[in-house]
Amino acid sequence: MDTVNTNSLKMDFLSSTALSSQTSMEKISMIVDKVKNGDLVVMEGGLSPGEEAELIETTMREIDVENFMGIDIYTLEKDKKSFFGLSKSKTIGITIIGPANVMKAVKKKSNFLSMIANLGDSGASMH
Amino acid sequence: MIRVVSMRRFFGRKFFRDIFNKLIGKDKKLKIGFYGHPNSGKTTLANRMTNDWIGKPIGLVSEIPHETRRVYRQEHVTLKHNGVELDFDIIDTPGIATKIDYKNFLKFGLSEIEAKERAKEATKGIIEAIKWLDDITGVLLVIDATQDPLTQANITIIGNLEARKIPFLIVANKIDLPEASAERISSVFPQHTVVPISALHGEHTDDLYRAMVKGFK
Repeated sequence: MDTVNTNSLKMDFLSSTALSSQTSMEKISMIVDKVKNGDLVVMEGGLSPGEEAELIETTMREIDVENFMGIDIYTLEKDKKSFFGLSKSKTIGITIIGPANVMKAVKKKSNFLSMIANLGDSGASMH
Repeated sequence: MIRVVSMRRFFGRKFFRDIFNKLIGKDKKLKIGFYGHPNSGKTTLANRMTNDWIGKPIGLVSEIPHETRRVYRQEHVTLKHNGVELDFDIIDTPGIATKIDYKNFLKFGLSEIEAKERAKEATKGIIEAIKWLDDITGVLLVIDATQDPLTQANITIIGNLEARKIPFLIVANKIDLPEASAERISSVFPQHTVVPISALHGEHTDDLYRAMVKGFK
């Protein structure tokens, strides 16, 4: 396990290609391990509804009232056109998952996400 | 003397009716899960419904989040609307969240030990609520109409219901409060039926009962 530095924030960016080779359980354990370690995970695409439910369940099992209070998940969606371009639906473009005690203030609009990370006494913002 | 007994007589009408009902899925017990965030009013609604139809409440309510920390079940609630009956079990589940901070409970006057215990119980309750998704046949997703409805818990619940093809209604609760907006919920989830009510005051519950008969029968 990496050493947690309270004044820094590690962000891992994961491409959809890297994630597609993993099973659901591998993805969930990897996310929970990273987030428990204080890291932020930024994923291209999203989890399936079943994986999201599994992630919440695994998080609940891992919560330790003193040290780990759970996660925050935010997604940015994008339009997905059908083959003939006749109908439009939404698909997840980016998913951000982080420790709930770090992801403090989040402003979300349909195409914009702003987050303030709380790092003890200092603060970092990302847009 | 040998008596020839017809198959129908031998097994009885009930036997054939049960087989027929099984084949068409009619014997499947209707189990309606009450899902949503902590403090969205699930138990208040469950109590309203059981008081209206069987004359007794199902569980305790309080302003402290995660008051319901295990699944409560009330069997055989029969709701009647315009001559149509809907017989179902109520499955009142703990609120689903992605995080639990015991310090939030301290604001409500709980001691640190009580708050930590409540947090631990709440995590178990959330796991139990998620497990119940495998066994329910319909859902009322209760959303506090004074809050932003676009949350990860609501998105995850709706995504799972859609993926599992479980019919559901969105209940926009707390419309008696001035800051409530059922329209905000409808605009975020335009493809789903949203029924605005106040479970606390019993406002528009008839609309919900009508929608339940239509959606779950």
